[in-house]
Amino acid sequence: MGAYCTAIWRCRYFWLALVRMDLRARYRGSVLGMGWSLLQPIAMTAIICLVFCRLFHLPVAEMAAYVMVGLACWNYILTAMLAGCQCFFQGESYIRQFPAPMAIYPLRTVLGAAFHLFLALGVGFGLALMAGGARNWNPQALLTLPATFLLLLLAGWSLATLAGLATVFFRDTRHLAEVGFQVVFYLTPIFYPKDLLASHGLTWIVDWNPLVPFLELARQPIGAMTGDVAAAVPGLDVFARAALVTLLLASGAMFALTRLEKRLIFHL
Amino acid sequence: MARIELDGVSLTFRVRQDSKGLTWKDWVLGLVRRRARPRIEIRALQDVSLEVSRGERVGIVGHNGAGKSTLLKVLAGIYPPTAGRRVVEGRISSLFDIALGFESEASGWENIKFRSYLQGETPGRVRRKIQAIAEFSELGEFLNMPVRYYSAGMLVRLAFSIATAIEPEVLLVDEVLSAGDLNFQHKARARMQEMMAKAHLFVMVSHDLDSLQKLCDRLVWMDHGRVRRTGPSAEIIAAYRESARPAPLAA
Repeated sequence: MGAYCTAIWRCRYFWLALVRMDLRARYRGSVLGMGWSLLQPIAMTAIICLVFCRLFHLPVAEMAAYVMVGLACWNYILTAMLAGCQCFFQGESYIRQFPAPMAIYPLRTVLGAAFHLFLALGVGFGLALMAGGARNWNPQALLTLPATFLLLLLAGWSLATLAGLATVFFRDTRHLAEVGFQVVFYLTPIFYPKDLLASHGLTWIVDWNPLVPFLELARQPIGAMTGDVAAAVPGLDVFARAALVTLLLASGAMFALTRLEKRLIFHL
Repeated sequence: MARIELDGVSLTFRVRQDSKGLTWKDWVLGLVRRRARPRIEIRALQDVSLEVSRGERVGIVGHNGAGKSTLLKVLAGIYPPTAGRRVVEGRISSLFDIALGFESEASGWENIKFRSYLQGETPGRVRRKIQAIAEFSELGEFLNMPVRYYSAGMLVRLAFSIATAIEPEVLLVDEVLSAGDLNFQHKARARMQEMMAKAHLFVMVSHDLDSLQKLCDRLVWMDHGRVRRTGPSAEIIAAYRESARPAPLAA
């Protein structure tokens, strides 16, 4: 395990260069550049706010920050999963030439996604400040964000690893994941207030959804919440739940990697 | 201390019978019956033992499909052996499939950087030699363009220039001497010899028997995944040539 991490660290220049190139290649020759990655969640936020705020009589500014942060996290997880499915095929030509640790290929995918998450969260923070003003400026709560980021990064990396390995051995994984995630999208309080479910006796959806603790961790410290709540340090139970989900994903990914890493090349 | 040791190494590929991939029906059947779709076993290497110690220059010959390149990939640590033991000490540098693994949207410069990183270089070291790599490739202005626009020959030149700008301990080479046009080939040959002189040990696969005789002290003759014979270069080449000669037609 230690040796494996050292090996990943030793080729850091390589995967960091790949991440940089992925980002640069994605926006090369495009007028809006990085703006494109923000336009999608912003447009979605706008349309959702337009409809839902009317429908449920919710304050627009508050809702905008809530939805934006929700979409930022959702897009990150979705990319980790769907782009993660392709990560080993994407890196095939390197895998065939150099015996680098396989975990660097999902890492490449996830770091790219994390960059976009970072940008979108920045917009979400701006919206939250606009909505709540000084009430949403809580430096103490902001200090929890690095820990949240670390958890998200680890969870995303694990998810991408699992998705990538699954796809190599079973090519239909991506299509299954697309359908599955479409369902999960509606079962996750991304674009509707969490309490909306509770008031309809559907609390269990929130309680059992593994994405919810991550959303809470991202939303609470910047006050991107519904229901007139100020920015606050998330409770320890929220951290514990997010850490548990991450731990489960990470152990699954490590177990799968130790079993399959060596055989992977024969299946590409 | 550079050293290679293979002890009874075998490698078996298992390939599905057709290339259509797994269908839904096959998958369900596979759950019920264990062998709904038998796989073909290809024994790429069988019981290969080989020892190369520091200072040795070893060549591998054999007909197509004899397992030469597979052997090299096992040495490089890319294919894990199905059976047997592999010990390689020293920093490995390998030159095979060098024209693969370019980021087509990135420029020549960017590709030089990240491929050097892949070979274990640091940004500092790359900065110091990036000019030398660019000069050797003779690509000039083209390096500012995405490699997508390169011709096959240009790509090989770039790949070769990057791949050989290292100081390897263990050098594994597979048929790279045919890089680029005639002019570049001379340069490439000189560069290879320079590199081989610096490497602590090297193993090379080639069909070019003259090069092998010039560059290697010892040859391994592979045949159907097994080592048929090993020995001094001249001796093995003579025997290999003899075996490859078509049988005279009976009158």
